[in-house]
Amino acid sequence: MHIPDGFLTNRIAASLDVVSGAGILYAARRAKVDLSGRIVPVMGVLAAFVFAAQMINFPVLGGTSGHLIGGALLAILLGPMAAFLTMATVVIAQALFLQDGGLVALGANIFNIGALTCFGGYAVYRLLGGGSARGKRMLLAGFLAGWASLIVSSACCALQMSLSGAIPLRIGLTTMVGYHTVVGIFEGMLTAGVLSFLLKVRPDLMKLNDLGRFGAADWVGATLFVAIPAAILVLAGSSRLPDPLERLLAITPLLSGGTEPAKLNSTARYLDYLVRAGVFVLLVLLGFVASLLGRHRRRRP
Amino acid sequence: MRHNFIDRYALLDSPLHILEPRTKLLAFTAMIVAVLCIPVRSGSLFVAYFFVTAILMGISQIPLNYMVGRTLVILPFIVLASLAVPWKGYLGLGILFVRAILCLMLLILLTNTTRFVELLRGLRRLGCPQILVLNLGFLYRYLFVLTEESMRMKQARDCRRVGRAPLREEFRILSSMLGTLLIRSFERAERMHYAMLSRGYSGEFPVVSPKRFSWHDLVFLSGVTIFIALTVLWH
Repeated sequence: MHIPDGFLTNRIAASLDVVSGAGILYAARRAKVDLSGRIVPVMGVLAAFVFAAQMINFPVLGGTSGHLIGGALLAILLGPMAAFLTMATVVIAQALFLQDGGLVALGANIFNIGALTCFGGYAVYRLLGGGSARGKRMLLAGFLAGWASLIVSSACCALQMSLSGAIPLRIGLTTMVGYHTVVGIFEGMLTAGVLSFLLKVRPDLMKLNDLGRFGAADWVGATLFVAIPAAILVLAGSSRLPDPLERLLAITPLLSGGTEPAKLNSTARYLDYLVRAGVFVLLVLLGFVASLLGRHRRRRP
Repeated sequence: MRHNFIDRYALLDSPLHILEPRTKLLAFTAMIVAVLCIPVRSGSLFVAYFFVTAILMGISQIPLNYMVGRTLVILPFIVLASLAVPWKGYLGLGILFVRAILCLMLLILLTNTTRFVELLRGLRRLGCPQILVLNLGFLYRYLFVLTEESMRMKQARDCRRVGRAPLREEFRILSSMLGTLLIRSFERAERMHYAMLSRGYSGEFPVVSPKRFSWHDLVFLSGVTIFIALTVLWH
């Protein structure tokens, strides 16, 4: 999911650089309260933790593999602001150490992998789990936060690349989102599993929200910070199409088989994408369940 | 376990390695941006950039097979992008490929000719927020410790069980391992923090014998600037 350089048009890459840069500067100002404070080494160690966890791949389906992203987990543990800074650190380190993701595309990667997973995951967790949720409800909220964060972030990644004309929108969206819907199950299960473990063993770590309270103004700010670029991307994807996509859509009826999306208006066309993506996701899920069942049957005798 | 797999070649001694980190950060970023701005139709410019990158690669003394292995990172993206060939044609895919490879090589050159501590110092002096630089520094220093810790835990798990458990059980084990690693990391962070405070830590890491801006840097920076200016004029 780390976009390399060259796969985004300069306009998209540069504007997301500005967005992410502004986000980091704001979060850094919030964190500046006490640089010798306890939160700094904790963020550093957690960044190393996430970096190491992301290097461990587990097999998913047919030769592909996935790994933990950890944005939602961090946001639940540290609060979204510190989690965003930590994830930004991880993404930058991945670009510098492993060349995972490009230098100019860094803004886009920080936005997808950092901002969307942290703020999105935290929002899902708080909305579903409530403030002081415990037990099953919290686990479910943690699972859904991890799962949803991956789907949103992969959809945004696919949208950016296809708006840049690097990959076709339909194929990009369905493969990326479908794949991450499956990987997201693992992410969600691990998020919930780690949360339940921590709750059992060290419940005091669950309220480590050191960067001050995440107040109402922060909620509004974070929503705008994440929602505006995402909304612009979605709108650009559905209505005012840039050049490469226009050409692409002129030919897509060939792929769609049966219906002719070219005749639909933009909203309907977008819904059409979503339905197709949904069908694909269902198929992948079915395959996943089937492979799990097959595994169990094989082991039993 | 080997502890230097990240900046393994940063300790070599070449004309690129002796440059000041800020010089390299600026020059390589400028070149990457320039590569991304080359218009699709001017193939000769791509050749020129490829030529210069190859020269830099030769100077840097980084083994070729290492560079090639590193560039394989983008293969999945190329596969994804090749699905677009029916619409964009082979030229589009080729340009995409060349651009991505060039940028990747320049990035590899930047990060593998600079020690990470120096790179961080360069970033800080170029105005990067201090907390980000601190985080990156902590990440770099803790990574090896954490990797060792997790390998020990993995070994302990493998010693205590035979064969594979049912999937549910596997997940329970995996998540409690992750949780344990998390708790140990927290506790380690706390211990380290107190140790650092008691040794006079105030939010800055001093660098031993930092590199200074010298005439090498001036030559390199002006060379890169002239090259980029020439390619802009040519176009």
